Amino acid sequence: MKKILLLILGLIFLVGIADSTAQSKKITGKVTSTEDGSALPGVSVQVKSTTRGTQTDANGEYSIEVSPSETLSFSFIGLVPLEKIVGNQTVINITMTSSDKFLNEIVVVGYGQQSKKMSTQAISTISSKSIANRPVLSPQDLLQGQAAGVQMVTSSGLLGSNPVIRIRGAASITGGGQPLFVIDGIPLNDGTLSAGQGAPTGLNPLLNINPQDIESMSVLKDAAAVSIYGSRGANGVILINTKKGTTDRKTELNLDTYTGFSNATNMIPMMNTEQYNTYSADYRAARNLAAVTNPTGYFDWPTNVIQQGRTNNVSLSARGGNQNTTFFIGGTYATESGFTIGNDLSRLSGRLNLEHKATKYLTLGTNLSLSNVDMDRIGAENSTFAPLTSSFLMLPYVLPRDAQGNFVNTGFVQNVIGLEALNTNRYVAKRTTGNVYADFKIIKNLVFRTDFGMDYTSGDSKQRQVDLFTPGGSASRDFQYDSKWLSTNTLKYNTGFGKNTISALAGYSYETALFDRILVAGTGFASDGLPNVVSAATPTSTVEERSEWALESQFGRFNYGYDNRYLLEASVRRDGSSRFGADNRYALFYALSGGWVISEEGFMKNQKFINFLKLTASYGTAGNDRIGNFSSLDLYGGGVLSDYGGSPGLRPTQVPNRSLTWEETAQLDLGFNTTFYKNMFTLSVNYFDKITSGILLNVPFPYTTGFASASRNIGKMQNNGVEFDLNVNIINKGDFSWSFGINSAYLRNKVLELPEASIDPDGNRFVAGSGAQRAVVGRTLNDFFLVQGLGVNPATGNYEWASKDGTPTTTYSANNRVFVGSAIPKWTGGFNTNVSYKGIDFSAQFSYTYGNKVLIDGLRFTENMNPAAGFNKSTTVLDYWKQAGDVAFAPALASTTAPLFNQLSTLQLQNGSFLRLRNASLGYTLPATLVEKTKAFRSIRVYTLGQNLWLLKDKNFRGPDPEVSANGPNNQILGESFFALPQARTYTFGLNLGF
Amino acid sequence: MKNIKISLLSLLLLGGVSCSDKLELLPEQSLAGSQAFSSAANAEATLRGVYSQTQLLDVFGSGPQIIYDFQADNTDFVGSFPTLQDINAYVTTSPNATLEAYWQVHYRVINAANSVIENVPTIVDPKLTPEISKRLVAEAKFIRAITHFNLLHMFAQPYALQSGNTPGIPLILTSFTGEITFPARATVAASYAQIQKDLAEALTDLPAVTTPASRGRATKGAAAGFLSRLHLYKGEYQLAADFANQVISVPASYSLATNYSFYGATPTSEHVFAIINSATDNGRTGSGGWASYHRPAANGGRGDCAMSDNLEASFKKEEVDKRYVDLSTSVTAANGQRKRMTTKFMDAANNTDLCPLLRTSELYLTRAEALAELNGINEESLKLVNGTRVRAGLPAWTITTFTSKVDFVNAILEERRKELSFEGHRKMDLQRRGLPLRSSGAQAALSVFGGQKTVLPLPQRELDLNKSLVQNAGY
Repeated sequence: MKKILLLILGLIFLVGIADSTAQSKKITGKVTSTEDGSALPGVSVQVKSTTRGTQTDANGEYSIEVSPSETLSFSFIGLVPLEKIVGNQTVINITMTSSDKFLNEIVVVGYGQQSKKMSTQAISTISSKSIANRPVLSPQDLLQGQAAGVQMVTSSGLLGSNPVIRIRGAASITGGGQPLFVIDGIPLNDGTLSAGQGAPTGLNPLLNINPQDIESMSVLKDAAAVSIYGSRGANGVILINTKKGTTDRKTELNLDTYTGFSNATNMIPMMNTEQYNTYSADYRAARNLAAVTNPTGYFDWPTNVIQQGRTNNVSLSARGGNQNTTFFIGGTYATESGFTIGNDLSRLSGRLNLEHKATKYLTLGTNLSLSNVDMDRIGAENSTFAPLTSSFLMLPYVLPRDAQGNFVNTGFVQNVIGLEALNTNRYVAKRTTGNVYADFKIIKNLVFRTDFGMDYTSGDSKQRQVDLFTPGGSASRDFQYDSKWLSTNTLKYNTGFGKNTISALAGYSYETALFDRILVAGTGFASDGLPNVVSAATPTSTVEERSEWALESQFGRFNYGYDNRYLLEASVRRDGSSRFGADNRYALFYALSGGWVISEEGFMKNQKFINFLKLTASYGTAGNDRIGNFSSLDLYGGGVLSDYGGSPGLRPTQVPNRSLTWEETAQLDLGFNTTFYKNMFTLSVNYFDKITSGILLNVPFPYTTGFASASRNIGKMQNNGVEFDLNVNIINKGDFSWSFGINSAYLRNKVLELPEASIDPDGNRFVAGSGAQRAVVGRTLNDFFLVQGLGVNPATGNYEWASKDGTPTTTYSANNRVFVGSAIPKWTGGFNTNVSYKGIDFSAQFSYTYGNKVLIDGLRFTENMNPAAGFNKSTTVLDYWKQAGDVAFAPALASTTAPLFNQLSTLQLQNGSFLRLRNASLGYTLPATLVEKTKAFRSIRVYTLGQNLWLLKDKNFRGPDPEVSANGPNNQILGESFFALPQARTYTFGLNLGF
Repeated sequence: MKNIKISLLSLLLLGGVSCSDKLELLPEQSLAGSQAFSSAANAEATLRGVYSQTQLLDVFGSGPQIIYDFQADNTDFVGSFPTLQDINAYVTTSPNATLEAYWQVHYRVINAANSVIENVPTIVDPKLTPEISKRLVAEAKFIRAITHFNLLHMFAQPYALQSGNTPGIPLILTSFTGEITFPARATVAASYAQIQKDLAEALTDLPAVTTPASRGRATKGAAAGFLSRLHLYKGEYQLAADFANQVISVPASYSLATNYSFYGATPTSEHVFAIINSATDNGRTGSGGWASYHRPAANGGRGDCAMSDNLEASFKKEEVDKRYVDLSTSVTAANGQRKRMTTKFMDAANNTDLCPLLRTSELYLTRAEALAELNGINEESLKLVNGTRVRAGLPAWTITTFTSKVDFVNAILEERRKELSFEGHRKMDLQRRGLPLRSSGAQAALSVFGGQKTVLPLPQRELDLNKSLVQNAGY
């Protein structure tokens, strides 16, 4: 708090350095938005009754030669036109108001801004309004159900879990599904710097990006939008724009704070000791096995590893500025403890965004953020160190403490309560992201910008296991960082003559990043009181790894508009990457798009129903460079996996592949955008068809080659679909407003070619993602391929599987595996409603997924019928067949199928469709008249917010949550989980104070 | 003027940052293939890389070896790995991930060995004398042989069934350079022939044992010892006896230890060949090593492999046996039951225990058994077998202890079982004799000699990829 106050003092000092503008004969000025003070580019500035005119540049600035008697007219579609008599003024700054707010959106695009209505790119914008005050930890969480065509799945309820984001379907198979995140022009490092600790993916690499700093996000979807990001655009690009300063406004201080608590939404019912012992005895008796006497104590592990989580957040910010200097300064301190024991997080972050106009020709600026995340981690998913997993597997008669109250070592299924109390499992992530830039106005309408950016992100893991749980004790420290710097230089030119508007962009950038890791580990400690590796008797790991890559790019974009009716855009990018094989180093990407604003046509002027109507079309390419840094070389590796007898060794690790290169996605997009009926309805519909070719496939080799696989650019895949986005401004009268929005996307994913991939017995080419799912030609990237479980035969008590021809069998065989559905939802989307009356506001946001399957692998353990398995069982197993006619879940205890019942089959596969009330909030803003009387405050709002309050899922769903995908951005495995933590249900109470 | 200056500056910035040479980056953690076989030093390193991979759990790091004991009647698998539970219950299926990993790593070792065999003779380096070059190739051939041998034990029927005229394993004798081939399974007999050839060729060029550390590398003794075992498995008793004698007739190098302190991390004269593991070696990764399975949670293991009632009964017939009293303790196993577990492998923290692949005792017992088969009850066999009996604190047998050759041979087999228990010999020792793996219990019927489920299934992934492969019957 104290630091933040100091920051604000500093900022007040900075504001004092305002500069006076230089004098000039010609008229200059800046056009900004009345709503939020942001610059308005592309505004037409005409000398009335002449053909002379110009338009504002990317910073909303213009200059024009006029005589004092003339009048300037400012116009832009969707804005109320303005006229100013020049007189003796030399600077004319104006603010423009939207003719209606739906027509006034500015979207941030790659390397610039555009009017949403005049843009030919397919972009979804997520505004600050729809994400404010959300108690989330990362920017990805804000995307859920907010933008048509963006599927966001939380991998689990674990704090900091790494989510899945797919924009218009997966554009790669092995290359990862993560879109490119760009924050204020800096493409972010997104490698995971932490281990999964049982989960198939590490922590969210964007955990340090503070959601409270975000003004808006642009999701770039079609080729017109992404091709300017070239070899990194194929998975889509998400531009994060942080809060900026404002002009001509009193400095606003805001204090936003909330506190709340969270609970688990769903648990698996497990047997207690009595149930378990009775069941085990019955099982053994039924199968003529020798009786075993189990202990009779009982400890309810599942309810003892969960707790009520807490969340707290304090953000303090200041924004303001004058004609020459604008700023935003913010700081946030947040803490959260999860609903599972041992899972805590705290984050401290600060941001300074500053822009200063030094002279008429030169503007300088910086966006800088620093953050620190400190976590207490837990194991997850397929790890017996994971509290929830272990609590499900632990035999109920195993007690965490002995008679004296001391923790005991429970063996392979860990005493997680003891672990969380005694062991250390800490992770500290730091991030510094920022840029400094300078804009030089070279001649009228021509601006050169040079921008130097950096993104440094580090992860520091420290673990210490005490003697009780790891005899002798062990410790490890793993420090990793990814350090990037880039230089971006662009030239932008805007001009207009008559009804023509032209803008052009040319740029060059060079970017390089170094990954570095140091790991030390050791065992054998004299005392648990010695926390560090240095005290270990036996050092077990010393690792130092470094890996570098570089990208050199040229890019450009050209826009032409005629009379605000006909729009044309072309963009191009050439990328040279160190990752590509020497024979294929440079890649060229392009896009062409056009738009027709029908509502601007003369024949539309006489009707009142349609306020705005635009058709767009785009086609172009983008690539995916996530192929690994050195995948093209044949390699021999050293290290502890190669040494023998104390001397170093070498072993073959990779086969050569000199032609390895990027994956390329070509995309067609057809868009329809309209606003109609008194601007009440805004509808956009987009059809897209994406074909990705040269997909990098890990072509599996027979193991007899000595290698598991090698990468080849050979696959081909298609994603097509339709996106709908409808917003209805139902009522907007005086004190009362009510709006409703719905977005929805239909996606069809189809694998077209997988040459050289394996062939299944039915002749299909496939690439296995996991033991349960595979990408198959003619099917989807994530088709489940499993033995079909038919259920228990009521007559015999045997569990039956389907043979390949569908007939029931009591023999489990992998030969009977068939395709049983896809993990890719057919429909995804969300809807929301906002109501406000006087000071009261209510909003609710739903998200849904329809038509996908989810595999809960851990059920193979909790539904293992054999007591010899050594872990607890879910009570669903108690519903076993007892007599003829029983419709039971599990087979008869004596059945030959009982020990095989839990084998991987459709038994663990479930319907993944769900509808979730993601978010609901109710707020009250005190009347301004009342607030003014306090003299201290500008605004006061109190609110309460709930997350994940309600979930509609299949009534037969068994498992923690249908919304899981433990593998995070791995494109090959979707919708699988061992035992994910369910989503947290969170209630928060907050206060927004404006000074 | 000012504008011009700014323009110039802009152009400079645009042009000046060009760094296309920066796109030529090389990895720092690896060597390119051409560098790996460029010198004598690198050649030695690539050979060590071959040994290093055999340390893995999947090869000689205890994985297959614990299976050989619990597929048979020495141990019960009471741990929680479903893939191993399935093997224990004789309900394994071909997607079994553990078997897939074992298969994979074995062929990785074989490919690395082939790489040495092919590339080392092409290296031009004065330091690489023909003698050294031959030795490196011989060591690689030895590893290739014993790795193929281990695969046979898992995935093929014993030679004793139809004299090996059953499906064996794909024999891989050339290194992989990018061209994928789809090898079919050689018969068991053909597989034995290739292994025998590799061992015989290695025997010629391998050095004799010198230091304790040299027992962790292929030596003449190791090759002869494995040839002895191979011929024993084929029922060729004279050859088995002869090759065993090549080793144990050099007592300066190979002799019985006086007590059991040789179990541990350092090879002794008790070890003809052992994979040596240090605290930083491969056993630490993944699912651990020998002690992880054989020690209980209280000692840092998992308590997965409990001594079977059957073996315990066998020991109790002479219950002063030190191999029972001193080499096993009663502990809490993974399933929460009190069970006896071996103390042959104690280091569950770092898994530094030796993998005792070939002990002098084994060759004593092999020669004893082979001579008994050839000559009936005889003094040399008695002397050999009494070596391990007396060490175990048991009375020596005499010429009058047994009345028939059959009883004598069976007694030697029982002695062999106890001496080599928990070291991964039991399955093959039963199968080569045409015996069932388990004589009692629910799986007895499935475990009979030649039973389909006594052989593990080839991994499904491999069958999916290589259409030349035929799955074992019954899967």
